[in-house]
Amino acid sequence: MRRAQSEGADAAEAYVITFTSRSVYIEDDVPKVAEERSETGLGVRAAKAKRVAFSATTLASPADVRSAVGAAIAGLKRVPEDPDFSGLPTEAGKGEVRGAWDAATATTDTAGLLDAAKTFTDAVRGSKATSVPKAIVRIQEYTFRVANSNGIVANHRGTLVFAYLTAKCGSKGKFGEGIVKAMNTSIRPIDFAAHGATVARRAAENLRARAFKGKLPGVAVLDPLDLGEVFLTTVGSAVNGEDVHKGRSPWAGKVGADVASAGVTVRDRPRMPSGLASGVADDEGNATQDRTLLEAGRLKGFFADRKHAALLGVPAGNGYRRAVATVEGAYTRPAETEPSNLVVEPGRKSLEALLAEVDSGVYVEKFAAPEVNPLSGSFAMEVRNATLIKKGELADHVKVALLTGNFYEGLKNVVGVGRDLSPSHAFLTAPGCAYVPPMAFDGFDLVGQS
Amino acid sequence: MSAAVRALEKAGAGFGDVRTEDRNAFVVRVANEQIQSVNEVHRRGWGLRAFVDGAWGYASGTSGRSADAVQAARKAVVIARRGAAAGVPPSKLRKMPSTAITLEPKVRIEPRDVAGEEKVAAAMEVCRSEKREEVANTNASYADSDWTFELANTWGACLQWREVRIRIAGQAVAGEGDRRESAFDFRDGTAGWELVKALDLAAFGRGLAQEAVEMLRAAKPPAGLMPVVTDPGVSGLLAHEVMGHASEGDEIVKKRSFLTDQVGKKVGSALVSMYDDGTYPGAHGSIPFDAEGTPAHKTTVIDRGIYRGFLHSLETSGVLKARPTGNGRAQDFGRRVWVRMTNTYFGGGRDKKDEIVEETKSGVLTRKWISGMEDPVGGSFQAVTQSGFRIHKGEVGERVRGMTLTGDALSILKSVDRVSKEIALDGGTCGKGEEDYVPVAAGGPYMRCKIVVGGG
Repeated sequence: MRRAQSEGADAAEAYVITFTSRSVYIEDDVPKVAEERSETGLGVRAAKAKRVAFSATTLASPADVRSAVGAAIAGLKRVPEDPDFSGLPTEAGKGEVRGAWDAATATTDTAGLLDAAKTFTDAVRGSKATSVPKAIVRIQEYTFRVANSNGIVANHRGTLVFAYLTAKCGSKGKFGEGIVKAMNTSIRPIDFAAHGATVARRAAENLRARAFKGKLPGVAVLDPLDLGEVFLTTVGSAVNGEDVHKGRSPWAGKVGADVASAGVTVRDRPRMPSGLASGVADDEGNATQDRTLLEAGRLKGFFADRKHAALLGVPAGNGYRRAVATVEGAYTRPAETEPSNLVVEPGRKSLEALLAEVDSGVYVEKFAAPEVNPLSGSFAMEVRNATLIKKGELADHVKVALLTGNFYEGLKNVVGVGRDLSPSHAFLTAPGCAYVPPMAFDGFDLVGQS
Repeated sequence: MSAAVRALEKAGAGFGDVRTEDRNAFVVRVANEQIQSVNEVHRRGWGLRAFVDGAWGYASGTSGRSADAVQAARKAVVIARRGAAAGVPPSKLRKMPSTAITLEPKVRIEPRDVAGEEKVAAAMEVCRSEKREEVANTNASYADSDWTFELANTWGACLQWREVRIRIAGQAVAGEGDRRESAFDFRDGTAGWELVKALDLAAFGRGLAQEAVEMLRAAKPPAGLMPVVTDPGVSGLLAHEVMGHASEGDEIVKKRSFLTDQVGKKVGSALVSMYDDGTYPGAHGSIPFDAEGTPAHKTTVIDRGIYRGFLHSLETSGVLKARPTGNGRAQDFGRRVWVRMTNTYFGGGRDKKDEIVEETKSGVLTRKWISGMEDPVGGSFQAVTQSGFRIHKGEVGERVRGMTLTGDALSILKSVDRVSKEIALDGGTCGKGEEDYVPVAAGGPYMRCKIVVGGG
């Protein structure tokens, strides 16, 4: 930072993150690959008047610092002015959020991961003709520091556990597959045996599933894992201050309007204990704060990094670079407006109670890919683990069918909100995560082949 | 590197290799004609792997001290032994002849020789050209990457090569009331600045704006099983997501692929041929060597409807007794090697695109892909398109919004009855499961087949 200023920058920011990760990859029921990696990197942002440039490097020696600063300073000469740049943060978040870092997880070695993998595999293999074709269990410990020429320094440390778990059952060319993901800041609460049982059940149900024919309007009950990803790409974009400022958000200019059913309340909670994205400071160093985005269906506001917070007149605190499944690569990009822990306030009903209220519909546990157009809200997602609901009871398992509709319209037709939150993320390097319960939507259609 | 290789051998690795990577990237993002970010990124590191009795141990780092790499080599062997002790069955690698080669990319204008100002100006030109009254948001980006690899292994290989890629992209978002629709496109490849120079940036941007505005008026696509003329991008998704992922040798070893027992069997109409070709000139997924040092290769996956075989790493070649195909790839120095595709595409046929449309009474013509999802187990296809057009009585009709295409891949391929001469490939990155992204390309001809359409 000092070097950047000495070389001509008016303002400078340095972000250094170091992480160690350990992973075990299970293939065909055995831990085929185990790995350990570590990486330290530096991101430098330099500003001169309204010009801003960024450079990043892996950090192995003082020469890397010189190189990164030199690249950022050189960048200042080639970039046009950014009239919206409003300077670097002036106040930093201090302290720690409880549960963001877990000592037992940080010290879990490869042998500990192999034990977890075996627990999962044994649970899967307890089901008839069922195996684990592929699974990943990874832990990561990281520390970052961000400092800028306004004199702020923010520190954060965390642990992340990511498990991608699959099971396969069947024989003679006819197979079913189940997938679950587990994410946490600690390995201790993850029940690998229970996940094994769940994924084996899903595989068996997928094998028994029949191609769905025709069209079924009704209620769709969606499992949190994929629903969370849908929330991140739609609601997470609609309340993203950068998208609002750029005119991309369908909710721009709608603060105070009802955009969802009364049962839907959504908060961004960077200080949630044990949250995957929790921290007292964001990746620019801004102090974070929990904020309500939708309250009882009414749009209350947006979240933003420093630049867009100034443009929109909202508090800063959502400038992120680190993702929640892995922090690798976080230093290679400048902070951008992203959610932290996007939390849908849970209701009081169990999943069973939600399902019992449905006269006719479908319960979807897994889509092929939970993709919704974030601009329009339209979607048609192929179901991979889905079960018809008839008079409040789960009935036939179905596949080869699309759940279609518009998610923004669906938010106005929420007929049930479950009580149990689960975390999910959008993709590997995307910052932010969602904690959502199972929810029931009216107005989506299940469409089969004919 | 040689010290680390010796350490792997000394520690007891049956096989081991060391890969160093030096990655430089220059990235520009602009929106609404304002600069969003100009990033210059340098990543450098090394990864080692040890193979012990069928299990792999990996260790990687970014330290510049050779002692750290030597220590990591010992650690990789210890980790591999732990895996082997946990019950991994023994397996053999297919041994490759040791070689010492240095390869430079075929680039006419090195991106590193082009001033950053020119790169910023190119992105700005695309963004500026997207501007018109109905467009609420204009976006463009430019990125180039210059990666240098060195690889040495316990069999005596000593390789060095560079990969240079470039990409320019734009996205226009049209708005009307609450409604937002967008159009996105890009050009990319293993090429230099000549790729950008050859592109009419203003026309590229204006085209995106026009398409986004048309999307505001687009109709809902029809639903159900119908004739679909897939454009090269969507044809490529079918090749890549279903047939390609299911042809990856590790999925075959695990019997996780619906194609496991299909070699020699009919999987498509006689008009369907498919390849994975890491040597395809200029394509985004082209590589001189894979991450194990195997030279890139053109592999015939489907030959006139008959399934021919799989893609391999050194290990799956050993297990399945086949030749390595240059498909052992890794996201970066810190990530494991999997069997991965390179440039995957269907071969061309005899028809012209217009003739295919003229001979279609009713159906849809797809226009550009957004995403697709693999299903090597079940063999089902899912792709999301950016938009499309109705086909009525042999003519291209009204534009329809983005749609989802789905169905059983083999049924789709067996229904192919028209294939265009022209083929094209689109670049992108491909993950395996959720992670491990590598640069790839996919494509093919315009193909007429029957697919379930939904969405909009």
